[in-house]
Amino acid sequence: METSKANLFWFLLMLIFGFVQNPERQRFIRLGDLARSPREKARLLKFPLAARDLLLRDNLTHIHPSFFFFCSPKATAPSLLVQFRRQNMETLLANCVEKNLTQFMFSNAIFLCERLLAQFPSEVNLQLLARCYLSNSQPYSAYYILKGSKTPESRYLFAFSCFKLDLLGEAESALLSTEQVPGGAAGHYLLGLIYRYAGRKNSSIQQFRMALSCDPLCWEAYAELCSLGAAGDASVVFGNVAAQRLQKTNVSQRINFSEGESRDQLIDSDKASKDTSVWQTEHVSGENQQDLKVKQLGAEILPDSDKQCNGSSHTNGWDLKTPSPVLTQVLDAPPPMLYKNMRRPEVEGLMYVHGESRRKFVSEEESSEAPEESGRRRSARIAARRKIPLFHSYGKDSHVLHHSPSESNGVPSLSSMIGKCRIQSSKEATTSGQSIGDTGSSVDDEQNSNPRGSSPNPFSLMSGISEVLNLLKILGDGHRHLLMYNCQEALLVYQKLSEKQYNTHWVLMQVGKAYVELQDYFNADSVFTLAHQKSPYALEGMDTYSTHLKEEMRLGYLAQELIAVDRLSPESWCASGNYYSLRKDHEAALKMFRRAIQLNDRFTYAHTLCGHELAALEDFEEAEKCYRKALSIDTRHYNAWYGLGMTYLHQEKFEFAQHQFQVALQINPRSSVIMCYFGIALHESKRNDEALKMMEKAIVADARNPLSKYFKANILADLGDYHRALEVLEELKDSAPHESSVHALLGKIYKQVKLYDKAVLNFGSALDLNPSPSDTVKIKACMERLTVPNELETEEDL
Amino acid sequence: MATESSESEEEGKIRGGNDKLIVDDDLREMGKNAAWSVSSCKPGNGVNTLRDENLETYWQSDGLQPHLINIQFQKKVRLQLVALYVDFKLDESYTPSKISVRAGDGFHNLKEVKSVELVKPSGWVSISLSGADPRETFVNTFMLQIAMLSNHLNGRDTHIRQIKVYGPRPNPIPRQPFQFTSTEFITYSTLR
Repeated sequence: METSKANLFWFLLMLIFGFVQNPERQRFIRLGDLARSPREKARLLKFPLAARDLLLRDNLTHIHPSFFFFCSPKATAPSLLVQFRRQNMETLLANCVEKNLTQFMFSNAIFLCERLLAQFPSEVNLQLLARCYLSNSQPYSAYYILKGSKTPESRYLFAFSCFKLDLLGEAESALLSTEQVPGGAAGHYLLGLIYRYAGRKNSSIQQFRMALSCDPLCWEAYAELCSLGAAGDASVVFGNVAAQRLQKTNVSQRINFSEGESRDQLIDSDKASKDTSVWQTEHVSGENQQDLKVKQLGAEILPDSDKQCNGSSHTNGWDLKTPSPVLTQVLDAPPPMLYKNMRRPEVEGLMYVHGESRRKFVSEEESSEAPEESGRRRSARIAARRKIPLFHSYGKDSHVLHHSPSESNGVPSLSSMIGKCRIQSSKEATTSGQSIGDTGSSVDDEQNSNPRGSSPNPFSLMSGISEVLNLLKILGDGHRHLLMYNCQEALLVYQKLSEKQYNTHWVLMQVGKAYVELQDYFNADSVFTLAHQKSPYALEGMDTYSTHLKEEMRLGYLAQELIAVDRLSPESWCASGNYYSLRKDHEAALKMFRRAIQLNDRFTYAHTLCGHELAALEDFEEAEKCYRKALSIDTRHYNAWYGLGMTYLHQEKFEFAQHQFQVALQINPRSSVIMCYFGIALHESKRNDEALKMMEKAIVADARNPLSKYFKANILADLGDYHRALEVLEELKDSAPHESSVHALLGKIYKQVKLYDKAVLNFGSALDLNPSPSDTVKIKACMERLTVPNELETEEDL
Repeated sequence: MATESSESEEEGKIRGGNDKLIVDDDLREMGKNAAWSVSSCKPGNGVNTLRDENLETYWQSDGLQPHLINIQFQKKVRLQLVALYVDFKLDESYTPSKISVRAGDGFHNLKEVKSVELVKPSGWVSISLSGADPRETFVNTFMLQIAMLSNHLNGRDTHIRQIKVYGPRPNPIPRQPFQFTSTEFITYSTLR
């Protein structure tokens, strides 16, 4: 009696309290009504707290932390008084916004989200609005609304908006205001980029390395490290440590996979147990991440599809809700996120079991592009996911989640409505995921698909991880070699790829660049044309292609094609600039390159090409400025160092020229062209021994480069060593018989050594080979004044 | 020191003109590095109109004949071609008829290099500065002066719409005696 009185007292209190708060939200529920089967009912009576999860299953309730149950005196049907919110405006709007985001209806999303935020101001809604703004390329709006937010995800989004607005200082402080950088790998990557843009090389290297350790699949971080020249060996970076890391983060997903699959099996096999399995998955989704590990235990038992087992496993899972060892392990490995897709960042350790979390599931599920079809092979999935960001672990939950409303019988109307909403959105998500990452299977109705393959086991996960990492190892190795200008090695590494991977645009671009660096323009041409044919929409690397395409017609056509594809990409304008440059219309080329710079100020190559054009127009000061700008963006862009060296050579500032060429050579130690010019600079500064040594190096470095021999002969002739010079030139004449300058130089030297008939012979052949008009003049003058020694000739002649 | 051709009194008649200016690939325009001046001009039709790439605007002289256009360089340059845009149909009596091209170190020692007579020109008229001798392809000089000695129909003042001066391209590779001709050498000669 006393208990009932106490209950009554509390009941009245709740009633008053509840009415004061929000009259419509209160409701009495009889516990008995919640249960859908006698077994459940029995369980409820035993463990009244379990009612909470039943309410979750119905997708109806937001459970107020305090609930009281009121036991009727007869104790037949204990009722539950809960404060709950029905599926209300907030969640409806949030779902709709998420759906709009996945379908790229940004203005609608923004509108609805603004209504949502106005009605229910909260941190989560604010983040959602910021996401909408960022998706709609309005970083300034996101910046203003997120200013001052403290939660990790908000800080990450705020830092991203600052980054887009070029406010690097604010972005950095936002990311660094707490010890742990928000956003995990993505946060570190963003911070690395910020440091890089600010020129703080070491800090950026550190950040990129941390990003990679958080998420080994953060390829961009590795690429940035390569371009900074600080990349570790790919086999180490994508090695065992990475595999373990990936495994940890994927374990939780795997569990949900298993649940999903096993659940499917259950559905096929036992309709009756559907409810319980559904219940369990609901439970899973409702739970904290901490519990996922626990579910693993339950999951293993599920495939037995034994009702009893299910029941017991549920209870087991339930009882073992928060075992501490599981907690630490799971918290160790937060699921990584790639900021590029603007995922909702995971709230680390701040899981709400309430409406927010539900919205989160929905958002994850709907925004997830990863193929979540439980029926697919996991390794295929994981392999596909290499190109798709690792989805949130909750993605699995939500995927699983959406099945339930449609499948269970007697679902209350409200839940079915929401469920349908989710099904549609998840269908879209999965179809988009399929189109992106599909490795071959297409499923119309994921609900009816049967799980392919056996029930999940750790080995398929490991094999998937190892496949991905092997692929990344090869690519990473090749990329690193290329950016260190070890082109031969890079080519060898890329040959190791499977044909499918090799024939992708990115890899072909890498291979083409390697050939270009080796000055093997013929092979480069074939590779680039192949790549362009395959993916005419892909503009990356087309600037390099256009630079080395020396046929006017083809280059013109390429330039036009690229501009037609995308008028706003710097590569297309670089291509047109190269076209004009080929036609020696340097003014027009300069205009094109300036446009490219306008489109993307950090496009290093456009600055360098600008510099080249200005140098061709003999405006050396401006050229220098352009080269230095290019170098400020990327210190390892050796073309700019080379360009600077050439301008100094033209201006006869030989000391400076030497320095520039030296740096260029440090970056790219195999370029024979740089060595040649370095040699010339040394020679002009009277350091002749070193000059000759450099020329020897150049000859050895690239046997096909005729200029190294030519320059060597020139130096020797200048030094008075005519015989050696003649030797070299005769050799060169054999290998390059059509070059008039060789003959002209031969003639000049023969004249010097007074072998006049040979001199005349060579001058004659030089003239036959159509030299430029000024050279023609020179050669003819030489021929006329054969007997006059060179020193007495006027400045116009040799 | 200006190289003068021995036949400095050689006269050539040029008829007509081209609509488009077609110049050899191995020539480049040298006018940017020069100081341009004229003997006289009408306000609004000054020396800028000669270099503004606009064929609608013209320079109109305003004094006694011969009317002079002076092109002065900071260092000795090799020049090969002078191109003028004149149009008899538009300018009639303002169109120049006898033109003399002189070169030298400065105003004090100009010597005539070339003399031409135009007959009803309309469009671009190219005056080559080369002599007969292959060694005299270029005129190596500090200053060039283009003198309009007389006009069509005995007009007093003259209109010139545009002028360009061409010389050979320099060797793209610094400090080398000869330029490269074969593609192989050219490919290896630069890094882009």
